Amino acid sequence: MTDELSGNSFGGDVVVNTKRWGLKAIRNPFVLAVSLIQPLVFLVLFLTVFGNVAGTAVNDTIPGISYESFLLPAIIMQVALASAVSSGVGLVNDIETGMFEKILASPMRPSAMLLGKIIADFARIVVQIAIVVVIGLLLGTQIKTGTLGILGVVGVGVVFSGWYLAFSNALAVLTEDQESTTLVANLLQLPLLFLSSSFLPVNALPEWIRPVALVNPVTYGVDVARSIILGRNVVSDLPLANSPLEALLILFVFDFLFAVAGIFFLLTRTRSDVQ
Amino acid sequence: MMCDIERRKQVEGESTDSAIDVRGLRVTYADGTTAVDGIDMTVRKGEFFGYLGPNGAGKTTTIKVLATLLTPSDGEVRVNGFNVRTDSRNVRKSIGYMAQETVVDPELTVEENVRFACETYGVPRDERGRRISTLLSLVDLADVADKPADKLSGGMQKRLDAATALVHEPPVVFLDEPTTGLDPEGRDRLWDYFQRINDQGTTIVLTTQYLEEADKLCDRLVLVQDGSVIVKGSPNDLKGRGGDEILDVELTGDQSARRRAAEIARDLGPFNSNAIEETDNGISVTGNSVREHGTMLLVTLDEAGISVVGFDIRKPTLDDVFLAVTGEGLA
Repeated sequence: MTDELSGNSFGGDVVVNTKRWGLKAIRNPFVLAVSLIQPLVFLVLFLTVFGNVAGTAVNDTIPGISYESFLLPAIIMQVALASAVSSGVGLVNDIETGMFEKILASPMRPSAMLLGKIIADFARIVVQIAIVVVIGLLLGTQIKTGTLGILGVVGVGVVFSGWYLAFSNALAVLTEDQESTTLVANLLQLPLLFLSSSFLPVNALPEWIRPVALVNPVTYGVDVARSIILGRNVVSDLPLANSPLEALLILFVFDFLFAVAGIFFLLTRTRSDVQ
Repeated sequence: MMCDIERRKQVEGESTDSAIDVRGLRVTYADGTTAVDGIDMTVRKGEFFGYLGPNGAGKTTTIKVLATLLTPSDGEVRVNGFNVRTDSRNVRKSIGYMAQETVVDPELTVEENVRFACETYGVPRDERGRRISTLLSLVDLADVADKPADKLSGGMQKRLDAATALVHEPPVVFLDEPTTGLDPEGRDRLWDYFQRINDQGTTIVLTTQYLEEADKLCDRLVLVQDGSVIVKGSPNDLKGRGGDEILDVELTGDQSARRRAAEIARDLGPFNSNAIEETDNGISVTGNSVREHGTMLLVTLDEAGISVVGFDIRKPTLDDVFLAVTGEGLA
């Protein structure tokens, strides 16, 4: 009986949850496909509609870069954002179906439950970004740093997604409502992308947008990925970072801050609402 | 070998007879609503314990405190000897919890749901296969083990939910209105299942609005209303407190016929001190002589031109007892 009452170690709890969410992602490939559709539509439309015009502005700032190569990092960040939204929706589903409470009534640690889910979400995001990178390569993107560069770009996408994963899960816990979570998280996606260096270099953006772009995590993610693709430092004139490595560190800081906030909200939710 | 729980209880100097001890439990929500107001109760090991009450009585709130999903505002609560406030993880290790709503992961198969529960509770790897197959057989889901949970009927999902609450063979199980919404056959199967695990020594705390369910399954029960315990005892004790037999007379005609029939009953010598009530389709007479003098009433009603279409003499049910205590039924 002692063994039967032992529960799992923290690591064991994490593995159990990673497995569950991984299995759910495999069972429901629709979620994986849906968060790819909009970014891929953007990729094709932007290349077709703005490719020639924007290519000039881009080349003025970053000489020698094709618009395909310039755009791919933005699409990767867009995939990361869209995929992170579905992470929060998954948690809301668990809250709505009662699975969340059922797990809370078990010996599983809430923080391990969240961590296991996030790891499974990261795995899903890796697959989605890899698909986008392959499509980008087929459409003419050149990754000058080769295979390592491809891995690096995928890695940056995953690091970038961390803060939005935490944000969408915190939204899920706060709203406990699928529509509200989807609405808010989706609503923020496009402003985040357009108020950043995603589609045009920061210098080519309207003046009022520039200060926003310089503190926008999307700019940090896009600039690091772009630097990896080109094999040289093309990080915008950011107040907090001058190199890809510094920009990457800032992304980790964003992840950390949002993760702390997410865990805070989760733990608040798991405590009672009694006096 | 002495298990963790028994060792802990001995260290703490508690009786090992009780599975649950609740003293002065009070729960007031942040909006100021007091859902539970000073409940005391003890559930003995191996007992099938009913926790009954109308909607809003505080049943689910109490179960959530016992399952550590809510922290009490006041009072001391121990489950399997562990304090729900200070030792909540040990409480959770030693309980099974089945919520009011059916909770299964719709995207996983039946077997994957039970396996996930095994992994959640840390059931040893080499035990899992046996545990899963035993439980699926017990709840009659072995044939659909590979089916996604969302393809099951409501009753099957409920049985799957029950199986996942029991994978770790907990000494105490909380069932919060487990048969609500089930058809009679589904309800019977779950009753049988709960009875079997109770026979194997598992303590069960059941909340329900179905008094028939409580009567059939529970060794002891309490009735709560407005957050307080108002009656406690075994079903037979409580029915005994209902006292006399009841004569139900079914009549044709409208309310005036029922009123006239009640007046006639009150004017009859043997019944004039009895409780006489108009019911939906006739009258009901409760007293110690209804069996002896019931025929007299039926004949008198017939002579008065009131048409009697049926009658029944029965012992009080829990419904009658609770109706008398609370002034209203549970459902």
